[in-house]
Amino acid sequence: MSDHFYTVTELTREIKAAIEGNESFSGIWVKGEVYNLTYHSSGHIYFTLKDDNALIAATFFKNANRRLNFKLEEGMKVLAMGSVTLYEKRGAYQLNVSQVRPEGIGELQKRIEQLKKKLEAEGIFDPARKRPLPLLPRKIGIVTSPTGAAVRDILKVALRRYPNIEILLAPAKVQGDDAARAIALGIMELNRPEYGVDVIIAGRGGGSFEDLMPFNEEIVVRAFYNSRVPIISAVGHQIDHPLCDDAADHAAPTPSAAAEMAVPVKSELTGEINYHFMRAEKALEGIIRHASTRFESVTSRRVLRQPLEIVNQYEMLLTDMERSISDAMRSIIAVSRERMISIPDLPVRLARIMDRKSHRFAAAVQALDQLSPLSIMKRGYAIALDSDRNIIRSAGQASEGDVLDLLMHDGSLACTVNSIKQGAGFGKEEKR
Amino acid sequence: MEKKKKDNQPAMTFEKALEKLEEIVGRLEDGDLGLEQAISEFEKGMKLARFCHDKLEEAERKIEILQKGGETSVEKKEISVKKDTGEIDDEDDLQGSLL
Repeated sequence: MSDHFYTVTELTREIKAAIEGNESFSGIWVKGEVYNLTYHSSGHIYFTLKDDNALIAATFFKNANRRLNFKLEEGMKVLAMGSVTLYEKRGAYQLNVSQVRPEGIGELQKRIEQLKKKLEAEGIFDPARKRPLPLLPRKIGIVTSPTGAAVRDILKVALRRYPNIEILLAPAKVQGDDAARAIALGIMELNRPEYGVDVIIAGRGGGSFEDLMPFNEEIVVRAFYNSRVPIISAVGHQIDHPLCDDAADHAAPTPSAAAEMAVPVKSELTGEINYHFMRAEKALEGIIRHASTRFESVTSRRVLRQPLEIVNQYEMLLTDMERSISDAMRSIIAVSRERMISIPDLPVRLARIMDRKSHRFAAAVQALDQLSPLSIMKRGYAIALDSDRNIIRSAGQASEGDVLDLLMHDGSLACTVNSIKQGAGFGKEEKR
Repeated sequence: MEKKKKDNQPAMTFEKALEKLEEIVGRLEDGDLGLEQAISEFEKGMKLARFCHDKLEEAERKIEILQKGGETSVEKKEISVKKDTGEIDDEDDLQGSLL
């Protein structure tokens, strides 16, 4: 009849393209009962989905069915999500399944979606209101079953990271009818200020979709939202995270991970403090070294040239350094006296630095002593000071009637200026 | 240990103290400080480090469980836990919820 024909392959490919290219056959949920169920040794699962009037073959490959958290059974009513594909060799189309849920869950799922929309509109999931966790919590509150794996995991991790941590456990059923109320109540209870809880971890280990349902209940989500204390959601899950994750300040994929978020590693904090302290110590050492060097170089140079003029200045510097150094020594001794266990050897180390410094300091003091005005004054010189304690360096600086202090090596004389003679007076006066 | 918490100044937190310690290190390392200032900064730093260490030791390893006492009241009870496994030692402590 016609010159034009398809080969079987061509036709099959066209059909395949038409089916697989059709968006409405892709990523869809199909409701049906499971028949001809085969768990293949390769790990793939094959079955037929049917209802009263039709059936469709289904493939549930190994990489997708690994996340299945219940066992498929013959006759089970399920919702399967997947895409329709065509297998050319057999000319058969099938549903390539990516996940399966018991049918009852479809309803729950719908309820969760609705609740999510409602709470979202209220701003309960607003990321802007999420609070940071304290760096150093003093007491951790836990809401979970006291018999589950979750509490063990949390305690183990917390105690390993911070051996002297304080923990307050609010026991709550985490599955079954009363669970949602129990969890919400536990969170509220731990929020009471008198308990002094800084962070709350609420959750449970992994389980089936239905097991995790309490953490999708409105009362629980709201309890997370209303928690005055920063709260971490710690519900073990693989695929869908529970709604409480979105209302919590932080969400962890497992209870252990939550404990890691909440509890710092004590030795790391100690290390950080010590690191800063060590840097402060080093910097101070540098500053002291710098000051001593300057001090010494000044002592050796300028003092030799004009000892009297700058003696005061050095005396001040000397006193300052002496005071500074002894202050530092005092505080180091004070610290070492109190217990500073975590900075071993610190006071000792610092004392050693200070000791080295004070050796050099003592040497400098000695040098200064040799230049001291006292030794010069012993030879018969005096220093004249005006009433403001300024050194009088020239006759013109004083006026008749001024009261001056004459500093001798062993005391001072209060003198009144009777008359002033300008010009070098050495000798002349003496001869008279 | 620190009794001098006055009402007019907010209680120092671990975070704040650590932050201040870092600032002090920064100032000391800048090298612009005079000897006396440097020593007084260093002293402050030493106090902050001490404060931080004290804070780390403040908590005293204690694990407690809330239990229903009577109709409406809730009581705390200390429990013992194996450190390496996190297991609660006493079976009796594993009972219940607040409901």
